[in-house]
Amino acid sequence: MKKNWSFRKTRRFAGLSLLNIFFILICFLTMIPILYAFSVSLNAQNSILGSDFSFIPREVTAGNYRAVINEQPVLLWFKNTVVLAAASVAIVLLIAVPGAYALSRFRFKGRMAVFKSLVLLHSFPAILSMFAIYKLLSPMGLINTKPGLIIVYIGTMSLFGLLNLKGYFDSVPVEIEDAAAIDGANGLQVVTRILLPLARPAVIVTGVMVMVYVWNEYIYAVTFMTGASNYTLAAGLYSLQATEMSGSWPVFSAASIVVSLPILIIFFLTQRHMTSGLTAGGVKG
Amino acid sequence: MNSRKDRNLVKFKKMNRRTSWPWLNLSASLLLIGLIVLFPILYTAYISFTNMNVYHWFDYTFIGFANYMRALFVFNSGFLKALLLTILWTILNMVFQLVIAFILASLLNTPGLKLRKVYKTLLMFPWAMPGYVSILLWKNGMFNSQFGLLNQWLERLGMDPVRWLANDVIAFVSCMVVNLWLALPFMIMIMDGALQSVDKSYYESAMLDGAGWFTRSIRLTIPAIRPIIAPAVIITAFTTFKQFDVIYLLTQQEGAKTGANIHTVITYAHENAFVANNYGYSSAISIIIFLLLIAFTLLSNARRREET
Repeated sequence: MKKNWSFRKTRRFAGLSLLNIFFILICFLTMIPILYAFSVSLNAQNSILGSDFSFIPREVTAGNYRAVINEQPVLLWFKNTVVLAAASVAIVLLIAVPGAYALSRFRFKGRMAVFKSLVLLHSFPAILSMFAIYKLLSPMGLINTKPGLIIVYIGTMSLFGLLNLKGYFDSVPVEIEDAAAIDGANGLQVVTRILLPLARPAVIVTGVMVMVYVWNEYIYAVTFMTGASNYTLAAGLYSLQATEMSGSWPVFSAASIVVSLPILIIFFLTQRHMTSGLTAGGVKG
Repeated sequence: MNSRKDRNLVKFKKMNRRTSWPWLNLSASLLLIGLIVLFPILYTAYISFTNMNVYHWFDYTFIGFANYMRALFVFNSGFLKALLLTILWTILNMVFQLVIAFILASLLNTPGLKLRKVYKTLLMFPWAMPGYVSILLWKNGMFNSQFGLLNQWLERLGMDPVRWLANDVIAFVSCMVVNLWLALPFMIMIMDGALQSVDKSYYESAMLDGAGWFTRSIRLTIPAIRPIIAPAVIITAFTTFKQFDVIYLLTQQEGAKTGANIHTVITYAHENAFVANNYGYSSAISIIIFLLLIAFTLLSNARRREET
């Protein structure tokens, strides 16, 4: 009996070890493109074309990072991106929260019609609207301006925000709000003190998705903005790889790492909310 | 006391029932959505009936359904080919995603796996990275035919370098690998969450019956997680169908075409608008895509309602 038990234990241990080796391999495989870029960005020898290249750089340097900061207007692009992202997140949350609250809580005529139209509108790929949006913004003088780009971003993302928040608000029991109303809370207090704290995951995830969208959007930024001083990080990086930096892959890798870092940090800070905050509305950025 | 509370609730409910109040709450978002989402669709629909192109920039005329006819009934126009490829792309990506994510998530949930959290965090990286950055890193770091990592490895093994993005078939597979790399973390997380919500006692009787991992998965696990993962799977199918960045950035950036000629419907519409400058035709394609997506949405909603 005892022998049998220890045999089972050994077998279980062997199985778990194998599984650990398997996952270490899988994780390494997954990380290769990122690790490789990181390694290239630190490589002192600029001759990656040489046959003596190794995955781990023999000589480490911060020179490529210095080149990114000094020779490219990266800090300016960073500032542009932060301004656009902050404005978009703030405006989308400010207008989508009351809208989603109305769709979720009020039983008014036309509610279902509005909601169903929004779901259908959401299926239209934003990229196919570019030409029409250009035609719309151009006579208003909003092409090549930050407000123009912000309008595009908040228009696209407030649709996502409405649907995502509405889906989550639906899952919050209305009885708590009624109880607060009985005690004399007004509409604004009910939303800010009761509903928003309960719907925190959805609010956080909606905000993060808007931010990530603005941070990653390159095609509108490249098409609507001319001149490198107006670029966002995404547009800047895109233009770099398409032109001069294609020859300098180490500098490009360094730029990629710099651009990704803020997004990586924010993602992992908010990751625990992702599942619940992103699937309730049946839409994903 | 009680009557005051009653009055409070009545006041609150009355406010919420006033017809102008909900519309006021919605007005800002609806206005913006009207401008940036609805107007472009209406304008695109209007242009789709005209011959607006680089020769007829302002003096375009109405040509009826000619653009639609060309897309749907002239086979070598390229749209039907792109549509077939998009369907193939969506199906293959979804099948691989579901199978790989299910296996990885099941293994992650093996009892006694202490480093589970570490593995999960590392596997989330491709999702956390900005998408376009990852795609460009794949393009320049992995697939580049001179200094890409894949060809460096091939060279070490004494094999000839492969031009990963030049040939249609290889480029399609390369794009699929990148798309799976980008999309798997989300699916793994959804599956992992679903597996953890399945009642463990559920398995015990099956364990006693001596059912293996495979039988247990087919008979118990998959039916149990199916309703939980369904919404996420449908969302992912839509984003896969609409995927633009992977194929565009890898193979057909303006001025940096790699030679492969793979088009999904979205890249096809984009190319006809911004490379060929054939706006009328591109608009017709956009509207067809929109109608297809609406049909899929209605279908998937109807099915979901039937199941619940």
